[in-house]
Amino acid sequence: MIKAVVLLLAAIAAPMSSLAAVIDLAPPTDVMASDMPNDVGTQMKVIWDLSPDDVTPRGDAPRRVTGYAIFRKVVPTPLGLESTAEAAADASEVGFPANFDFEYVQPVGSVAYGNSEFVDENVEREMTYLYAVIATGPRGSVSPLAQAETPVTAQMEYFNGGKFWFLIITLAISLVIVLFVLIAKRGGTVKVRPIAGLEAVTEAVGRATEMGKPVLFVPGILDINDIQTVAGITVLSNVAKTSAEYDALLKVPTARSLVMTTARETVEAAYLGAGRPDAYNEDNIYYLTDEQFGYTAGVQGVMVREKPAACFYMGAFYAESLILAETANSIGAIQIAGTAMPSQLPFFVAACDYTLIGEEFFAASAYLSNDPEQLGSLKGQDIGKVIAGALLIIGCLTATLATVTPTKVFKVTTLYIKDNILGKDGISLDQEKVTKIDIELEELTADPNPRGGDS
Amino acid sequence: MMAKAYTPGLLVTRHKTHRVMRRLPISGDVKVSLGDVVTADNIVAETALPGDVNPVNLSNQMSLPPKDVVDCMLKKEGDPITKDEPLAQTKGLFGMFKTTVNSRYAGTVETVSPVTGQVIIRGAPLPVQVRAYMGGTVVSVREGEGCEIEAEVAYVQGIFGVGGETNGHIMMACEAHDQEVTAGLITDDMRGAVVIGGARMTAESIEKARNVGAAGIISGGIDDQDLKNILGYDLGVAITGREELGITVIVTEGFGEIGMAERTFEMLQNHVGDQASVNGATQIRAGVMRPEIIIPLASAPADQADQDFEEGQLEIGRTLRVIRDPWFGMIGEVSGLPAEPAVLGSGSKARVLEVKFPSGETAIVPRANVELIEE
Amino acid sequence: MSDTPAIDPEQIKVILATDCGSTTTKAILIQYVDGAYRQTHRGEAPTTVEKPFADVTMGVVNSVTEIGELAGRRLVGDDGRIISPATETEGCDIYISTSSAGGGLQMMVAGVIAEMTAASAKRAALGAGSIVMDVIAANDGRRPHDQIQRIRDLRPDMILISGGTDGGTTDKVVQIAELVAPAKPQPRFGSDYSMPIIYAGNQDARDAVSNVFDEGGFDLQIVDNLRPVLERENLGPARDKIHDIFLEHVMAQAPGYDKLMGWTGAPIMPTPGAVGDILQTVARLQGINVVGVDIGGATTDVFSVFDETFNRTVSANLGMSYSISNVCAEATMPNVLRWVPFDMDERELRNHVKNKMIRPTTIPQTREALMFEQAVAREALRLAYKQHKEFATTLKGVQQQRTVGDTFSQETGGMTIVNNMKLDLLVASGGVLSHAPRMHQTAMMLIDAFEPEGVTMLAKDSIFMMPHLGVLASVLPKAAEQVFDRDCLVYLGTCVCAAGTPKPGKTCFKYELSGSVNESGEIAGGELKLIDMGMDDRATIALTPARGIDLGAGPGKKVEQEVRGGTVGLILDGRGRSLSLPEDRATCQKTVQGWLDSLDVYAQEKEAVAV
Repeated sequence: MIKAVVLLLAAIAAPMSSLAAVIDLAPPTDVMASDMPNDVGTQMKVIWDLSPDDVTPRGDAPRRVTGYAIFRKVVPTPLGLESTAEAAADASEVGFPANFDFEYVQPVGSVAYGNSEFVDENVEREMTYLYAVIATGPRGSVSPLAQAETPVTAQMEYFNGGKFWFLIITLAISLVIVLFVLIAKRGGTVKVRPIAGLEAVTEAVGRATEMGKPVLFVPGILDINDIQTVAGITVLSNVAKTSAEYDALLKVPTARSLVMTTARETVEAAYLGAGRPDAYNEDNIYYLTDEQFGYTAGVQGVMVREKPAACFYMGAFYAESLILAETANSIGAIQIAGTAMPSQLPFFVAACDYTLIGEEFFAASAYLSNDPEQLGSLKGQDIGKVIAGALLIIGCLTATLATVTPTKVFKVTTLYIKDNILGKDGISLDQEKVTKIDIELEELTADPNPRGGDS
Repeated sequence: MMAKAYTPGLLVTRHKTHRVMRRLPISGDVKVSLGDVVTADNIVAETALPGDVNPVNLSNQMSLPPKDVVDCMLKKEGDPITKDEPLAQTKGLFGMFKTTVNSRYAGTVETVSPVTGQVIIRGAPLPVQVRAYMGGTVVSVREGEGCEIEAEVAYVQGIFGVGGETNGHIMMACEAHDQEVTAGLITDDMRGAVVIGGARMTAESIEKARNVGAAGIISGGIDDQDLKNILGYDLGVAITGREELGITVIVTEGFGEIGMAERTFEMLQNHVGDQASVNGATQIRAGVMRPEIIIPLASAPADQADQDFEEGQLEIGRTLRVIRDPWFGMIGEVSGLPAEPAVLGSGSKARVLEVKFPSGETAIVPRANVELIEE
Repeated sequence: MSDTPAIDPEQIKVILATDCGSTTTKAILIQYVDGAYRQTHRGEAPTTVEKPFADVTMGVVNSVTEIGELAGRRLVGDDGRIISPATETEGCDIYISTSSAGGGLQMMVAGVIAEMTAASAKRAALGAGSIVMDVIAANDGRRPHDQIQRIRDLRPDMILISGGTDGGTTDKVVQIAELVAPAKPQPRFGSDYSMPIIYAGNQDARDAVSNVFDEGGFDLQIVDNLRPVLERENLGPARDKIHDIFLEHVMAQAPGYDKLMGWTGAPIMPTPGAVGDILQTVARLQGINVVGVDIGGATTDVFSVFDETFNRTVSANLGMSYSISNVCAEATMPNVLRWVPFDMDERELRNHVKNKMIRPTTIPQTREALMFEQAVAREALRLAYKQHKEFATTLKGVQQQRTVGDTFSQETGGMTIVNNMKLDLLVASGGVLSHAPRMHQTAMMLIDAFEPEGVTMLAKDSIFMMPHLGVLASVLPKAAEQVFDRDCLVYLGTCVCAAGTPKPGKTCFKYELSGSVNESGEIAGGELKLIDMGMDDRATIALTPARGIDLGAGPGKKVEQEVRGGTVGLILDGRGRSLSLPEDRATCQKTVQGWLDSLDVYAQEKEAVAV
């Protein structure tokens, strides 16, 4: 009945304007809206069955249905709240008015033909909406409005069930970290692989002491806000402590004023910790220049003039890495480098005695301090990496197997890893997707020839 | 032909002329002169040990090159300085902006190094006094080093001891040489005394002796566990004498339930009330040191006794003690000295002797496992 | 030093050698028999350096008298001197001696960095045969006044100071000298000679160091820097100087040594120095890696030659008599008792241990006492070897050459050079090892304590003859070589030990012997097996290890090698490395008893004479 009225109205309205909609399409059916699960209440999902006119036309004939437009209407809730953003609507009536104007009311969204799903990402939490869909065609042809049966309220879920696996993994890693921290605190041994570069700090400083030469520490050319510089300063603290114990002269030229200040504080604290506050001289930690190559030239000058017996490069480095390392190599110094700059690592590895590579550099702090909390968290992170690595391997394996041998087990496993563990499907499998797999497999195992009806 | 062989033993003698060397750790003043008669408590020499060395790096603290430090010193080498007293001051700029460094230590400025910019402040000297330890006559003096004291003494070497030099009058806690020393036998009047026990002394008895203020306690044996309890740690190497226990403990025979040799016990019994100097210091190593009990004699006994003390000659009829299980601590008489080595229960071959115990039993014991004792 | 008479090697037919140890003086007689030098008789007596004797020659005479009685040859004359030169029935042609009595040579060494020049100085001192009482270094963690106090307390025979490379640090070296000088250390024997100080550091600091020791009664001797650059050690000059001073100062002061030096026909050497010399020679001549151990009453010496690099360590407080209590304390009683397959009363045991400590010369009379002592020996050896591995390292402070290929395999300097898999010969000496009633016990103690891997030959210096031969080699190399070959080493046999963690009861490795012995079979995880192979037996063994098990060629790889027998035989060990014993006491006893039974370590059939 409504259809007829709309048709009639449209027919009357059509001549009024050249752009007026012509209702000549069959509407989509079974429109249903539902609250999106696992969100904060700002999304709504609308599904429908395609319009009977939404088919691939024969020959060169144009498509009749080119898309769908989705409309919504706020339904007054018992609280009487109403979104101000909504178009004015007749609040007294549930449902779209009979004289719903396609042209003046903007749809909340549209999709192309063949689609039967739309996610409205712009709804307000706790508001109730009624949705309607029309099919649209070329030259303003439309279908009558197909309304959803019931209005739906957008709701927030406190738990995002789709990310359940994320929770499990997070909890597992946290638990492992806490466990290792506890073990470490109880005096248990948290074994950390010896990092040659850090073990060698005493050796390098010792060499400088025996040779009566200074120790040179270069904290990179970036400012203190770079995480690599921070890691470098951690290592500096250890180098300074060893230098204080061995009574070796430590020189730290910096490229940033803030790094200089931080380095001074760090070194002074280290000397104090080693019981040698009198041996600390802040003039040995100085600022050169912000200029990359000005700084490099300055450091090189120190190397050539004072011939340090041990050089440390800990921080962020660019083109100067090899210049510094080669110069120090030529004066016979033990060199220990640490950086997370992938492009500079090969240079350091080749030219230096020891190199801390990426992760090792960041683990230095835990390694050097032997602090149970840091060691425990280091160990926990390692477990996390093991889990990630294991998933990666299993995923690759099953995905490959699923492609090579079309077995349901592999396909489902791949699906589970992809959409459940790493995706948003939560703890249990999406049965629809499983059905889809079943169908695919059936098609493959069934008669390879296309079925009659489709040809 | 093989009747004689060397076997080590401990010296226990009623009379010998004994000398002790009293030496300062570093040179100092000797307070006595040749021929002086001293008592155990007399101070014979004293000195002051140089105090602790505290280096201060002024060059760094004042941000000056080391060679300029010397000119900035407010105190010269050899000057005394107290804590927080100004030590050095920079020249500053036009007499302004001067930096002053105060000393963190009290003592004397020992050196100012123009090479390292380091100033060494030596702490107050520690006085060291050396007592006579044994009453007697000063027989030699080494100027600045120490002196030697000689006396006619009765002398007992123990096998093991802990604690250093001390002295006191001898008091008996036990009535027999094989009586265990228990806390009950230690009485309050043993303050300052050298307490003589019999067999094993318990940890409680030593504790009690320490509490009543006894100078030393001497007995035949001690349990290792008790020793550990007293010391607070498990003794690894028998180098002792520096423990600060408040009492000197000497064991004359060994560990376990073992009685003091009868002869030793009787000898000590004869000297009840006499002053004795005891030292628990033991060093069972090269340059062996055994703990000692020295009892200076008022006059040398008429019988120049113990001159027949023949060190270490094994002969049939000699009394000896077995010093290793399975007959540990038992005393017997040599009844046979086979020349050929024999195979022991352990499977080793060793030279042995036959020993006859008072019960009439005999046993074959390796020669290494016996110790001669004097009757 | 004695006026060594010119010796005509051709005329030497009877050689008398003594080694004055801290507890016993051991004498051997070497005679020229049927065209070859052979060791013919031996004697022992307690050493007499201590009071009341305070004359080392008494012990020497006692031990020599014993030889004389056994050999039927009068060696000691009525004047109490050794008769020399020899006649048909009397005396000897040459008398030589080594000494570790009076605690041997005791030194203090100092350097700038504990792991670098101070470690090199320690190596020089140890190589020369001394005991290192303490190592003073700028970074040893002690405050200067603590260091001074320590120097004051020690009474070393001499002090070796090193530090700085040539052209390196001067002030640190001078600082060390400035610690030593005011401490005024007193020499151990007598105060009537100046404390010898050897300076072997930075050559630029020589003058400054000389100034420091100008006053205060020091005898400063300057030799070449023992670490001229960090990449290289030059220990020879320092080592030689130590030997010179040992003879000129130290020996001359020890009670009775002046007399003894007059008797000897060659300079007296520190015992461990002589042992080191002999082992280095053997390793060089035969091209093998050798580990030697001498477990004594107070200390345990470990010598190793790996790829021609010699190292020696002295574990000062690991020994079987003076230090037995310390072994038990350091290893802990449960660790000692795990090797004992029966229950023992701990309280009684502790008293026994302490009694052995205060009466160091006693010997175990019962089988149980022997087994306990051998258990202690295992732990002492294990700890001493551990210390040795930590000390015998590559040099520290050396610049490394890298390529990009080293990205994930960067090794630090100062790695141990001791590699049990590469070890070819393990030589045991010292009372508890060489005087064990059965050689099986010696072999078992060695395997349990050192845990050799792959194919290793076991030998013992039957009567601790290596020091004697070390000195003899300096006088009469021919005789030393002959005696070493024929009489010194007693080959116990060969052990084949699986490295890895074999599964209990499952096959660990298969073997096939061909040669004088033909046999094949397999060894299960946890199993020990003894194959009878006599002194002269040689065979080729083909070994097929299970997966993950290494017998020398890498995990799971086949090995084929020549093996020789010995007084014990061929020992096949499938227990895995590192050796682990069950925690539970009862299971442990059963396991250990099983091992002991399979090697027949404590034979039961002995008729005990005593007891």
